[in-house]
Amino acid sequence: MPDDGRLGLDGNGYDPNRDGDLQEQFVEQWRTNAYGCFSSGHKFCREVCPVMQVTRNENHTPTAFHASIVAMEKGLVDVADVADDFVHCTQCGACELRCPNTLFTGDFYRHRTRTVDVVKAMRALMVATGNEREGWKLWNERLAEYHNEPVLGEVPVLQEHVRDWAEGLDIPIGGETILFVDCEAAYYRTSYTRAFAQLLQKAGVEFGLMREQWCCGGPAAEMGYVDLARRHAEHNVADWRAVGAKRIIAPDPHDYIAFTEDYPRYFGDAYDFEIVLGVELIDELVKEGRIQLTKPIERVVTYHDPCRLNKRKGVHKPPRDLLRAIPGLELRDVDHVTQWSYCSGGGAGLPIEKPEITAEISNRRVARAQSLEVDTLVSACPWSERPLTEAGERADEPLEVVDLFELLAESAGIEVGGQTRAPQPEAQA
Amino acid sequence: MTTIAFKSGVDDAVIDELRAIIGDDDRVLPNTSSRVNRTRVPAPFPVHRWADYMPDVAILPKTAEEVSEVVKLANRLRIPVVPRAGGTGLSDGAVARRGGIQIDCKLMNQIHEIDLVDRTVTVGPGINMLKLNEELRKHGVFYPDDPASYPCSLVGGRIGTGGWSLLGARFGHTRDLVVSMQVVLPTGEIVEIGEGGGRKLRKSSTALNLKQLFTGHQGTLGITTEATLELVPRPEVEFAAFFAYEDYMSAYRTLGDLTKSGLATLAGVVLFDEWKIAYLRRDDEAYIPQPDNVRAVIAVAMYGTRAEVEPASKIVMKLGRHNGGRYLGDEISAGDWASRHDRYATPLHGRDKNGQAVMMSWHCEDAALNYSVLPKVREEWHAIVERYREQYGIFDDWGMFAYTSGPHKPWADYLVEIDIGIWESRLNEENWQGWVNCKREIAEVSLKYGGSITACHGATREGDAHLVPQEMGSAWEVVRRIKTALDPNNIMNPGQQSFDEFYEEGA
Amino acid sequence: MAIFRLGDQAPPPARRVTDTVVMRFDHVYEVDPALMELTGQQELPAWDTLRIVDSRWDHLDWMHAHFADDVLLAGEESETLPADKPPADEMPSEERAGPRPVE
Repeated sequence: MPDDGRLGLDGNGYDPNRDGDLQEQFVEQWRTNAYGCFSSGHKFCREVCPVMQVTRNENHTPTAFHASIVAMEKGLVDVADVADDFVHCTQCGACELRCPNTLFTGDFYRHRTRTVDVVKAMRALMVATGNEREGWKLWNERLAEYHNEPVLGEVPVLQEHVRDWAEGLDIPIGGETILFVDCEAAYYRTSYTRAFAQLLQKAGVEFGLMREQWCCGGPAAEMGYVDLARRHAEHNVADWRAVGAKRIIAPDPHDYIAFTEDYPRYFGDAYDFEIVLGVELIDELVKEGRIQLTKPIERVVTYHDPCRLNKRKGVHKPPRDLLRAIPGLELRDVDHVTQWSYCSGGGAGLPIEKPEITAEISNRRVARAQSLEVDTLVSACPWSERPLTEAGERADEPLEVVDLFELLAESAGIEVGGQTRAPQPEAQA
Repeated sequence: MTTIAFKSGVDDAVIDELRAIIGDDDRVLPNTSSRVNRTRVPAPFPVHRWADYMPDVAILPKTAEEVSEVVKLANRLRIPVVPRAGGTGLSDGAVARRGGIQIDCKLMNQIHEIDLVDRTVTVGPGINMLKLNEELRKHGVFYPDDPASYPCSLVGGRIGTGGWSLLGARFGHTRDLVVSMQVVLPTGEIVEIGEGGGRKLRKSSTALNLKQLFTGHQGTLGITTEATLELVPRPEVEFAAFFAYEDYMSAYRTLGDLTKSGLATLAGVVLFDEWKIAYLRRDDEAYIPQPDNVRAVIAVAMYGTRAEVEPASKIVMKLGRHNGGRYLGDEISAGDWASRHDRYATPLHGRDKNGQAVMMSWHCEDAALNYSVLPKVREEWHAIVERYREQYGIFDDWGMFAYTSGPHKPWADYLVEIDIGIWESRLNEENWQGWVNCKREIAEVSLKYGGSITACHGATREGDAHLVPQEMGSAWEVVRRIKTALDPNNIMNPGQQSFDEFYEEGA
Repeated sequence: MAIFRLGDQAPPPARRVTDTVVMRFDHVYEVDPALMELTGQQELPAWDTLRIVDSRWDHLDWMHAHFADDVLLAGEESETLPADKPPADEMPSEERAGPRPVE
């Protein structure tokens, strides 16, 4: 029986060998979640949704995502009718957090709104029923071939180059503590990874790299390629076990979510690794004095709360503490609740299928930063930094976008190296 | 792909004409998903008859001119037009009764102008008040139209429903806060409607005063395409206090004392009845640990300058305690007030007859009633709901609120609500009709006691709509003349509020 | 720094508070699971419960600040309940589980 990955909250996924329509199975599984939203119909999610702020199309609301499942049950729509709607989501988590069914009673009932899971499950149904999106199909075919996200466009992301970013840093392979490097950070924005790794080295933290690092599998799962996601997870965990790893350091919020939400669902109690979030580790090291921020950085900055840190995980304080610890830096902050409605538009495959929407979401994020009259927008997620950087360059008055670790490394006196973007193939001709 | 037949005169030729008017195929949406997802509003919905209420096509206009051309087309071909802003209303005002063209104004959400000198902000109807106020904050002003749906309702819908605000006793309600607007009439003309000549005037006596007519019409007299709104100074302080009472009548007397106190910064007073407290005890962390002798609650909120609110707050603390009231404490007072938008629509608040948590939809009955009749109406309403609970097993009584409702006048009448849970996934035709009968009985009680069947949601629901002529009484004929004069072809949101009878043979 | 360990995510056992309400984390009420048999409960790891509780308090703070520059309080405690004490034989307090103290 083919392994199709684990999807649902109780671990039951699809069984393609089971009799009955896949769409019927899907509706049966997600019906309770759907009614949880549909019976309320209150749409507190709508104005915090970054996609909705741009398109203003009700089809793209979390409300519609849930209502469409009820409509499916009533025979009013099928997958093909709603497939395009479900593309319109960055899985930022604002909706499901703001929903009163989560925010006010989710903990009371142990039952909350789960729009991210609903969207992922619908996209998986789209894949399983021949309603794939062309861009995502191609992207995940390349992932299947190279085992890393095709972040360099036409240039293949080869396993033999997955550690090139670490050149000159003498990082060993294996060990009890493994640094997991995100695909975007390994091939595209290598300054991010070099900054983080060198901060750890400066603090005397021992860590190693994987023997063969595959993508965490998170984006594949977000786009509905559940089997592919699972295979990557299994590979990575096998690699960790093979080197005796006990602890995984995940600087990138997307990986952190994969390791703390997806992987436990795949592996259950056997999953006994410790997962450390990069920014929390750095925060602790600075507070303990193991990293000294001595070089002043004379910038006026504002901080972008990455969705997968702030909304999805509730992590918003350590980045701000760190920014305030950098000498010479002026932070003009926007509170993390207001930022529930902010996003870069970079998540869940949206830039692949709807690049114009991602671009507009980033344009608006940059415009908000500019209204504070800052010279720099600081983020803490490499996936956000690509669209934000491009939007910063497009703006009437260009705004620089940097990563928090890059800034911290500079203040710690580290010569980071690496690049903030990969050269475009056309430019190389 | 599924298709569901159009119900009105919309066909492929009409879709083509609409595409020509709008000039952008992404803003003309006849596909099933776009129609399915623009059908219901948060009121309990007969899910088993979903297709009956779908519009035939949705339009997302950007300008008043586009709206005007679409409305003219609809008149020519006698196709219904259903305006929709947020679709967060509670009485199906934005639900298509006979298919037709839904005009979804969410793309018209710009702030056109902020005038800090003459104190107005001009916006499109598709903007949400919370998002508007996020922008206004840096200017030290706000737009205080604050319903329970504040985080999600839109200005156009607030005008269409004649919305009520939790802060209305101090700042007024939607119709008091809208200074003027641009409206597309049912026959397609674009007109400016206000108090008088200038867009930013609040009071005038020229010709006929039309602004009130175009607020609260439930989309039956036209579509607002732009609105000029009041800019109110941002309050220095907010003060909230909650008091508990051993019985309803003590709370009721306190309600009267507070609202007649003459305190100018009073923004709202709310009375929670015994059923509401029992309901909150199920899962509201503020009420779960409260002792049994907390049976009714009064909430008071004030906004204004510190110089005014601080001394007033001392008087409020005295009045709140006067009839045996006990203060619920700072933490609950502040927290419960800040939760005011979020306490209503949680489906898992529903309980079946065995006490099991089941997902229920929330119906909010919203009568307008005078102070003198509140205790009696409460008794009769709960008795009605109990009977229907017993009979059908899919309803749940979530208790009653009475809120100050007079604009700038805390002492005036009240928005009185009974909140009823309905087990929506168990709805069928039989118990849906039972529900409609229950609603009608509740509305009839309001009329019996000299009240209105709706303070703010609108009388556009089954069970309410056919009582409208009775409530309007001698004024019904005036309504008929105005509606038929402005909308000779019954294009604008037809089938609502019994207005169809104006167009019947021999009417 | 919070290290994620799957083994730490199981919520503490439930203590009874009323006939329909229990408590696992201090000051965090939960429905008696017996009342959720028809609907079913979800797997909610500890980090998720705490995220929701913290976010709720943050949202309430935000809602106050959204409408006014300052919150004026009567400056008095509850007259209906004794000073807030956690139930007897409680679990060690989760650092982030308690309600935000009113300043």
